[in-house]
Amino acid sequence: MILIKCPYCGERDQSEFANGGEAHVVRPQNPENLSDKDWGEYVFFRNNPKGIFYERWVHSHGCKKWFNVVRNTSTDQILKVYKVNEKRPDLTEFENTLRSPSGEPSVGSGNFAVKK
Amino acid sequence: MTAINNECPYISKNKITFSFDGKTFPAFEGDTVASALLRNNIRLVGRSFKYHRPRGIYTCGIEEPNALVQILSEHNEPNTRATVKRIYDGIKISSQNRWPSLKFDLGAINNILSPIFSAGFYYKTFMGPKGFWKNIYEPLIRKSAGLGKPPKNFRSKSIHQYHNTDIVIIGGGLSGLIAARKFINTKYKVLLIEQDSFLGGILKNTNKVESINDNSPSEWIKETEDLLSNSTNITVLKNTLVTTYNFTNHLVALEDKFSGKKIDLNKSELTLHKIRTSQTILSNGHIERFISFRNNDLPGVMLASSFEKYIHRYGVVPEEKPVIFTNNSSTFSLLKSIISLGCKPQAYIDSRRKDEIESEIKKFLKTNNILSYFDAEVEGCDGNKKIEKITVRQGKNYYKINSSMLCVSGGFNPDIHLFTQSKGLVKWDKQIASFKPDTSFQKTVTLGSVSGNYNFKKLCDEIDEKLSFLKTKKLNFEIKLNVSNKFSVKELWETKKKNNSNWSKTFIDLHNDVTTKDLKQAITEGFDRIEHLKRYTTNSMGTDQGKISSINSLAIVSKLLKKEISEVGTTTYRPPYAPLSFAAIAGRSTYEFYDPERKTSIHSWHLKNNAVFEDVGQWKRPWYFKAYNNETMHQAVQRESKILRESAGILDGSTLGKIEIKGRDALEFMNLMYTNAFTKMKPMTSRYALMLGEDGMIKDDGIICKINDQHFIATTTSSGAPKVLADMEEYLQTEWPHLKVYLNSITEQFSTFNISGPKTRDIMTRVFPNIDFSNEAFPFMTFKNFDYQNTKIRIMRASFTGELGYEIYISPKYGLELWKKIFSCGKAFNLIPYGTETMHLLRAEKGYIVIGQETDGTVTPIDLNYNWMIGKNKRDFIGKRSLSRPDTARDDRKQLVGLSPINKSDTIEEGQHIVEINKLPNKIKNPIKYLGHVSSSYHSPNLNQSIGLAMIKGGNNLLGQKFFVTVSGKTQNIPVEIVNPVFIDPENKRLTS
Ligand SMILES: [Zn+2]
Repeated sequence: MILIKCPYCGERDQSEFANGGEAHVVRPQNPENLSDKDWGEYVFFRNNPKGIFYERWVHSHGCKKWFNVVRNTSTDQILKVYKVNEKRPDLTEFENTLRSPSGEPSVGSGNFAVKK
Repeated sequence: MTAINNECPYISKNKITFSFDGKTFPAFEGDTVASALLRNNIRLVGRSFKYHRPRGIYTCGIEEPNALVQILSEHNEPNTRATVKRIYDGIKISSQNRWPSLKFDLGAINNILSPIFSAGFYYKTFMGPKGFWKNIYEPLIRKSAGLGKPPKNFRSKSIHQYHNTDIVIIGGGLSGLIAARKFINTKYKVLLIEQDSFLGGILKNTNKVESINDNSPSEWIKETEDLLSNSTNITVLKNTLVTTYNFTNHLVALEDKFSGKKIDLNKSELTLHKIRTSQTILSNGHIERFISFRNNDLPGVMLASSFEKYIHRYGVVPEEKPVIFTNNSSTFSLLKSIISLGCKPQAYIDSRRKDEIESEIKKFLKTNNILSYFDAEVEGCDGNKKIEKITVRQGKNYYKINSSMLCVSGGFNPDIHLFTQSKGLVKWDKQIASFKPDTSFQKTVTLGSVSGNYNFKKLCDEIDEKLSFLKTKKLNFEIKLNVSNKFSVKELWETKKKNNSNWSKTFIDLHNDVTTKDLKQAITEGFDRIEHLKRYTTNSMGTDQGKISSINSLAIVSKLLKKEISEVGTTTYRPPYAPLSFAAIAGRSTYEFYDPERKTSIHSWHLKNNAVFEDVGQWKRPWYFKAYNNETMHQAVQRESKILRESAGILDGSTLGKIEIKGRDALEFMNLMYTNAFTKMKPMTSRYALMLGEDGMIKDDGIICKINDQHFIATTTSSGAPKVLADMEEYLQTEWPHLKVYLNSITEQFSTFNISGPKTRDIMTRVFPNIDFSNEAFPFMTFKNFDYQNTKIRIMRASFTGELGYEIYISPKYGLELWKKIFSCGKAFNLIPYGTETMHLLRAEKGYIVIGQETDGTVTPIDLNYNWMIGKNKRDFIGKRSLSRPDTARDDRKQLVGLSPINKSDTIEEGQHIVEINKLPNKIKNPIKYLGHVSSSYHSPNLNQSIGLAMIKGGNNLLGQKFFVTVSGKTQNIPVEIVNPVFIDPENKRLTS
């Protein structure tokens, strides 16, 4: 169970929150102008990378506020929490937390226990 | 024979009795089941899992693979570790996995049949012929699987306790206690957790330490405990085992509140501690490992350090004349302990060469005239349900020794389980021939033997250095030892066997009965990855998780694969560290506390009037009302449905979700959230509305009341209310933060009654004589607010039955009073209460859908022919764009139709398929063409026939055609006609007049 710092309430257990998938996917302003393919992309497709991920969380059993989180999905480390109206942090801010091309960090993924 | 150590300070002198398999034995307060059995010279304790081989007590702690017993007292708890469970006066215990008795067990025939139980037998043996799995194999496996019997009628009283703390020290042994003393009266909030009922670790379990600062080990433990309990910042939890090390230093620990005491069934016996800490200190020690040799499972084989622990911790010498077999220097303290009590080992076998063995050990053996074999190993042992003979190999020579007990030490593994759970990385250390922690992932420090440091002299320095980043006291203790400080070990995993017989086996996993031969066979079959190997052989998959043997299996496998052990790697260590009772995990969240029950303000009336309840979300809703005692549900529903269409009925609709939408941009928001157009809608009118997902599929429905452009009230389905509110909130916060709209759940703020039927207007006029209910003054889908006595009410003309109907909203405070008044006025008109089942029947007669019944997340409004509900002129609403996607706009999608059986006495079943053929073949070889499914089906008392709603491919174009509905368990189908889904009053005359 991870610990999440709600930007409005402070640090709370993960069980108080719900995950809302990829962040920064903006609902198109004029859906009617979109091709079926582009609209389908918006409705059905989301990224799910191993490594750095910008995602949405909601403090559903607390203040009910939505906010954004930068999380390393392979280690569960939360690298940054910011409000929905705040600027998306640049990826370069977190680059040194990833070491291998596959996104496998040297420690913390739980995929191997013996030091290589 | 067993002997006694009278000097043991950790066992009480109070005598108690206990029973094992029906016989009563004496013991002392503070004994575990195992120490009590050993005290009484009982060594055969259970039968093994697969081969039903006789098994004894192998260890003295949590790592026990063999001695699992059933506690017959209290909850009848199965699979209890005899080496952990503390007994009390009168406790009743039985052995497990044997029939008819422990000494004569019929299941032992599996041992003779063992060739079929080799590696992967689950996958190979139960393959065919067809039908055997379901009828023969599975029932057989279920019957013989598991060990003990589960408790019955058990209600957990366990509680959960939460901690937020600065430091957690796991393990109150020597290093844990030194670390804890550094925190005395500091600013840190510290939790020290110990699994035993005494602190001290090796100080109480061995005689390795002679003194600390000139105090005896037990004096030093006492002094430390006093200091810790006087320090306000330190809490000590004993009888508590940390089972789980999660991310962000979240720990789970189980405390046994009644360790060694009879459980008070009125009190909580287990506490599950959920701990969040800034820093974790692991000082949880090490676990001894065994060596594989022929029949290394015979009762009488015991780990050497466990034997020593029984002497010092429980005051029992399990055997006066044991044989010791070792590959390392640690057994020296055991030798000394046995001699100091006036006993004498029968023989000492050391696999190390003479020149590798410490001179102090050689000297001690010589002085005490102990038969010694160096550079030798135990080939195996033999005996009937116990060790009788031990065979030793030295070079080419074999020696037989008569003894009933063999103490084995294969070296020590730092207990890295929790450290790897925390995702830390370990490294192979040749010096100790084991894995030890290397890189922490979280804020974790390892101290003492868990870190691979077996050097007591350097312990204080190590602790000082590793905790130097914290502001703690500098402490130094002078630790004097009874034995050499140096630890030396020579790798030895399996000895060479000479004798071969069907009975003889060399085990690598005692709990799951896995042999070293199974490992070899699996590798021959190509399972060369450790994770595959584990699952194929079930090695280390028992409840002990191979605590004394998993490193051995890695070593054996690495030799077979000709790889380095670090290359083979370990399997993943997963929580829990040791079995965790489900009762502890459930805590108080059982039965009525599992999920809240919500009741309406009319609930007491429903109870008095023989309502049968249905769970809708968390709500208790009347399902139907029994008019007389043995009225069946079918009879009640038919009666309620008929009377309602003849006179009137009333439904408690308070559970319906209600959301208030207010604010400058409420109108724009509602236009975006729902399919309907609200702009031209007049104030104080209402409308049936649909909410879609962005994929165009129906999510929820309800009636929207427009008070004005800045104020709406939306009703939702009873179970969908929280989700609808959350979805609205999400869009407001994330997509349309510019809209000024406020949402409020007002479900519980109103009691809601739905009254409908042809006599409704008469009844309403009697209840509210000042209100004009005429069609002109109060038309369909309008609502009004009124003063009513000391409160206010809102009445809306709406109906879910197809009859004339009104919905009344009132404060729950006055709800019951008004409900009763309606009944007293309604008596003359034969007003009845009705439940959800009648509501569903009546709406099906009218062709109204129910979310989750007609819809299943793949249904659009167009599929239901609800095109009239779509605000086509609106620029946008949730899901609008998806309605014109090619797949959503197909005209052969499943569409809502009605079903009417051709033979009026036929009954169609909900959920059945609609097909084109009147009879299914006896054996279905090719797929049957499927057109759709029956989504609702009822016997209509008003039409006197069975009616159905169905979702059928291209249904709109099939009106009047004949198809067939399948019948469960039969091949003969029921012929039906596709009809309009509105069976009653298609012109809506009853609704609107
Ligand atoms: Zn919050």
